[in-house]
Amino acid sequence: MTIQSNGAPGSAALRAANKASAKGLVIKNLNKSFGKTHVVKDLNLDVRPGEFLVLLGPSGCGKTTALRMVAGLEEVQSGSITLGDRDVTTLPPKYRDVAMVFQSYALYPHKTVAENIGFPLKMQGIDIAARTQAVEDAAKQVQLDSLLARYPRQLSGGQRQRVALARAIIRRPSVFLMDEPLSNLDAQLRGFMRAELKHMQHELGVTTLYVTHDQIEAMTLAHRVAIISDGALQQLGTPKEVYNDPANLFVAGFMGSPPMNFIKGRVADNRLQGSGIDLTLSGSLEGAEVTLGFRPEDAEVVDPGLGLFDAEVYAVEMTGEQTLVTITLDDAHFVVKMPKDYEAEVNSLVGVQFASANGYLFDTNSGERLRSGAVA
Amino acid sequence: MTTEPSLSPMNRSLFARLFTPQVIGKMPPGTQFFVYTALILWSLFVLFPIYWVFITSFKEAVDVNRGPFFIPWVDFTPSLHAWRELFIIDYEDTLTAYANSIVIALFSTGLCVMIGSMAAYALARIQYKPKFGTIALFVGIMIVASVAIAKAGLDWRIAMAVAIAVFVVLARALGPKFKASLGNGDILFWMISQRILPPIVVVVPIYMMFQNVRLLDTHLALILTYSVVNLPIVVWLMYDFFVSIPKDLEESAQLDGATRFTTFWEIVLPMARPGLAATTLLVMILAWNEYLLALFISTTKAQTMPILVAAMNAGERGILWWSMSVVIVVMIIPVVAMAIVLQRFISKGVLLGAVKG
Ligand SMILES: Nc1ncnc2c1ncn2[C@@H]1O[C@H](COP(=O)(O)OP(=O)(O)OP(=O)(O)O)[C@@H](O)[C@H]1O
Ligand SMILES: [Mg+2]
Repeated sequence: MTIQSNGAPGSAALRAANKASAKGLVIKNLNKSFGKTHVVKDLNLDVRPGEFLVLLGPSGCGKTTALRMVAGLEEVQSGSITLGDRDVTTLPPKYRDVAMVFQSYALYPHKTVAENIGFPLKMQGIDIAARTQAVEDAAKQVQLDSLLARYPRQLSGGQRQRVALARAIIRRPSVFLMDEPLSNLDAQLRGFMRAELKHMQHELGVTTLYVTHDQIEAMTLAHRVAIISDGALQQLGTPKEVYNDPANLFVAGFMGSPPMNFIKGRVADNRLQGSGIDLTLSGSLEGAEVTLGFRPEDAEVVDPGLGLFDAEVYAVEMTGEQTLVTITLDDAHFVVKMPKDYEAEVNSLVGVQFASANGYLFDTNSGERLRSGAVA
Repeated sequence: MTTEPSLSPMNRSLFARLFTPQVIGKMPPGTQFFVYTALILWSLFVLFPIYWVFITSFKEAVDVNRGPFFIPWVDFTPSLHAWRELFIIDYEDTLTAYANSIVIALFSTGLCVMIGSMAAYALARIQYKPKFGTIALFVGIMIVASVAIAKAGLDWRIAMAVAIAVFVVLARALGPKFKASLGNGDILFWMISQRILPPIVVVVPIYMMFQNVRLLDTHLALILTYSVVNLPIVVWLMYDFFVSIPKDLEESAQLDGATRFTTFWEIVLPMARPGLAATTLLVMILAWNEYLLALFISTTKAQTMPILVAAMNAGERGILWWSMSVVIVVMIIPVVAMAIVLQRFISKGVLLGAVKG
């Protein structure tokens, strides 16, 4: 078995070879309950060979549990997991050929960095010379080659994180599983490691299932994002798709920062009427309870009377690259992103305008997207 | 990772101030003087008996009998007579007992720590649910079998074989009907409860047992007895250590391709090293000093040091304080050596860096 190709880590040949051998991961109707709480509900995922798929969802929605079932650390209650053409649903972890980076890194504290990274190969019975070479190569890829003799306690958080990564990549597994590997790093390091991770996954071409609750991380890293709420899949698509075309209220509200603004109302005579608004709608939604959503960056603040509705300025925040204007309408708050030199008086009356294509309609009760209507 | 905010003493609650250890170097001079005096006095209090035993081993009978003398060459003239008697004239008895003690302590400790830590690991990581009914069934059948052997004169081999067969059949048939089950906590408590019994209660049965299998006065008998007696202590102490090791580490090792045993050997044991060292030391000292069981089980060939010490106040020559002191001094040495060796492992911070905190 070849552990490390002779080519430089970035060589096109290596990339092609990895891509060719990459395996897909198919999860079908996966279920898991702890006692009475149904943590993972009928999860279906199809991770393509070489794909970077991110499981995104709020804390406690069952992401870790789903990942642990793929790893074989948690028993599957019903459903199946297929890796390549092997059904691994009931296979013990060590036979699955997956590598996992734990939420807690899980480094072996009594082993040096080199021993930590080389541990999977040691378990495979690979001789020490080949192992040392492989450890050096893997360490080089994550810029740890000068720290091989240290112990985990002598490393910074970012370095520990990279040891965990190196230990995962050294094996050339069929699938990488990563559980919020960046969540404990400070903002700057997180940004840096994000780029590193993305580059590395691209170079290695290994199928990756990545868990996070951070939507920025998901948007920047993923080929496709699977958004989960309460253990159930809400939407699966490219970052652009889930952002521009959310399937329901949850996805619309979860993606984006600041989040999408929502106005509740009822449709009568092709008009959306709610507290303080009265908008013309096209399409046939007579009598429906609907929620209208628009993104802060899609809207703009205009002079009163010129927008879709008028409201009062509640606060104006300068963030440097832009100005966030919070406006208030009947106790509801909306945020609109304006250019950085925008200025407005608090409590003054303004209009809010956005293009009809940028208004999203949802069924208030079911949360589902309503595609049969639009703001005129 | 948070750094303690450095509050001035006045800002902290009385409770916090009472229970924060003070650093001697940072105390006011008066307090420092008082603390040092107290520490020195306590050290003297602890060390003095050892000193006394040490000098007594160099005393003649007259020096002991004429009253307590403490300063060699001033109060009395040190002599090597007791040492000579024990290590040159009577050396066989002394060295045999010494060797016995070492062999028995080492092997029983090794066996007991090995089995005990594996049991503790299993209890810490695997959830057992023994059915209450099954246990009661087993105990009941064993009682019936014992009565049959004792009263009806049944051959014990036949009785046991029948009893086990009946138990297996009944357990399989009735097992699913039993609902009440015990947990790991109950097993753990049952183990430690074995130590609640005073040893004197079990001495006679143990004696009879070894008599029947013709193992009285052998090393094996003492090694087995000490291992069993100390097992609950090992399980109890090691359980705590294993529970405190993050599960992630073991799961990670499993994913990296380690078997359950490799995980235990390569990952868990090294991290439990401080606990293992402390437990080993404790168990070894218990085995080293054990007297009551040794008194019954060993007579001559397997005699241990504590028995030898006790024998020195039973002879027709009265209590041989000097000889006793010699034996005590040589008894202390291996324990101190062991403590120094194991001390290196009994340090905190083995888990540092394992998981982000
Ligand atoms: N071993 C367990 N026993 C009982 N309940 C559990 C267990 N593990 C997880 N849960 C519950 O399952 C739910 C999902 O947990 P999980 O760890 O998968 O969440 P998560 O999405 O990874 O959250 P986070 O982002 O905070 O890590 C939680 O409500 C949790 O309390
Ligand atoms: Mg989690």
